[in-house]
Amino acid sequence: MIQLYNVFKTYDGNIPALVDISLLIKEQSFVFVTGASGAGKSTLLKLLFGWERFDSGQILVKGMNVGKIKKEKLYLLRRHIGVVFQDYKLLPNKTVFENVAFAMEAIGASSRSMRYKTSDALKSVGLFKKRDSNPMQLSGGEQQRVAIARALVNNPAILLADEPTGNLDPDISLEILKLFEMANQQGMTVVFATHNHELVRHANYPFIILDKGNVVRP
Amino acid sequence: MFYSKHLNKALDNLKSNPQTSLISVSTFAAAFCILGLFMVLYVNLDSLLSTWSRQVQIIVYLKDDLKNPQRKTLEALFAKNPQISSVEYVSRQAAWENFKNTFSAETEFLQSLDFNPLPASYNLRFKPGPNRVENIRLFAETLGKKSEVESLEYGEKWISRFEKFMIFLRVFLLAVGGLLSLGLIFIISNTIKLSALARKNEIELMLMIGATHRYIKTPFLLEGALQGAAGAVLALLAAKGVHGYMSFQFSDSIAKIARDADFLFIGPSGILILFGVSVAVGWLGSYISINKVLNMENGS
Repeated sequence: MIQLYNVFKTYDGNIPALVDISLLIKEQSFVFVTGASGAGKSTLLKLLFGWERFDSGQILVKGMNVGKIKKEKLYLLRRHIGVVFQDYKLLPNKTVFENVAFAMEAIGASSRSMRYKTSDALKSVGLFKKRDSNPMQLSGGEQQRVAIARALVNNPAILLADEPTGNLDPDISLEILKLFEMANQQGMTVVFATHNHELVRHANYPFIILDKGNVVRP
Repeated sequence: MFYSKHLNKALDNLKSNPQTSLISVSTFAAAFCILGLFMVLYVNLDSLLSTWSRQVQIIVYLKDDLKNPQRKTLEALFAKNPQISSVEYVSRQAAWENFKNTFSAETEFLQSLDFNPLPASYNLRFKPGPNRVENIRLFAETLGKKSEVESLEYGEKWISRFEKFMIFLRVFLLAVGGLLSLGLIFIISNTIKLSALARKNEIELMLMIGATHRYIKTPFLLEGALQGAAGAVLALLAAKGVHGYMSFQFSDSIAKIARDADFLFIGPSGILILFGVSVAVGWLGSYISINKVLNMENGS
């Protein structure tokens, strides 16, 4: 499902972000990527959905060779992947419903399926009643649920989460984790990047530890 | 469906940045109004040129000692030319009578002349058609070589000068149009860039979700084209207003200069060209800027 072979990535100024990374993440698995700030967790996730380009090595995601996909065709890869961020990335000028529907609209879904699937996604994160609210009126935990609903609405094969609980209280973090576990139980592969060791210990899933761009423990 | 959705988005964008949109539409209107007025000038000078060139005729002045058979040779040459519509022979005596009638006020001068200085001539008129002036010029060159002909007159100098001026005006119009378009492309690309940067988060999100470049670009391209279209409509209205004012205010002077020819406005094809160029400029400006913004994004 996700395979990395000897992947190197440096940022401008030759700062190494990832050094000789080789990994295999199986289909429908749940994997934590953990490590201190600056260890390369976010970079690793960004490489997986083609947001950043890598220097050498190979990355295969759902059978697609990420390094070989042309810029204009990256959308084909991204349609298999849902991404959730620490800062939610919600659009303040849209309602909760519109924010979630936006993900379907952007890939040209019909209005009818948009209505049904958006409602279903909001129900699955427990926010259907707040569908007409402005996301800025919601708490941090609720905003992250909206972001998760947006990532889930297109039913992607892979769910990438970059520090999704970074801004949340421990209790809320566990609730958010449960939503990812539910997605995993429905068949999605989940890659969950976090520096929260408590969460990793609590959930008891396989984990990858990164340190200064190197895999310490696969 | 695809375009109507994006058209709504483009209209929303225009509404959400009313000041910037207004500035760029006004700039479009001002620039294309200037271009439109130049086109009005061109259309009228062109019509004047065709009116004048329709009046062009060749006057063939004959040598004094010409005999009848030599005249018949020339007349046979005229008859061979299918573009000649009429041939009028003016004898020396008739020319002198005409001259005396025209200058009857100068009786003292006319009385002092005890001989007829005027040559006999032929007035040749030509049928209308394409390359009329060029055909007249070629025929005049042939006639000029004939031994029977003393000299020719067909106003070739001012016609060719005027034609050169029209070519210059055409080049000038293209240059002005080109420069104005370049300036407008720069302005519209900045306006759209502002609009795209204001929606940077939305664009970033669309890229992450898996929207195609076409899906992201289309509303911005339509926004630019709409600004161009609105600017062109305003420009044409303003140019029509100026044209109407000039027709009303200076009708007498225009009639004198143009020898009663109508003071024309740009024709339907000119209007379509102006509108099309304006829309294309808006589209192109947006295309440049949205591509720049997309290239700035990491994941694009």
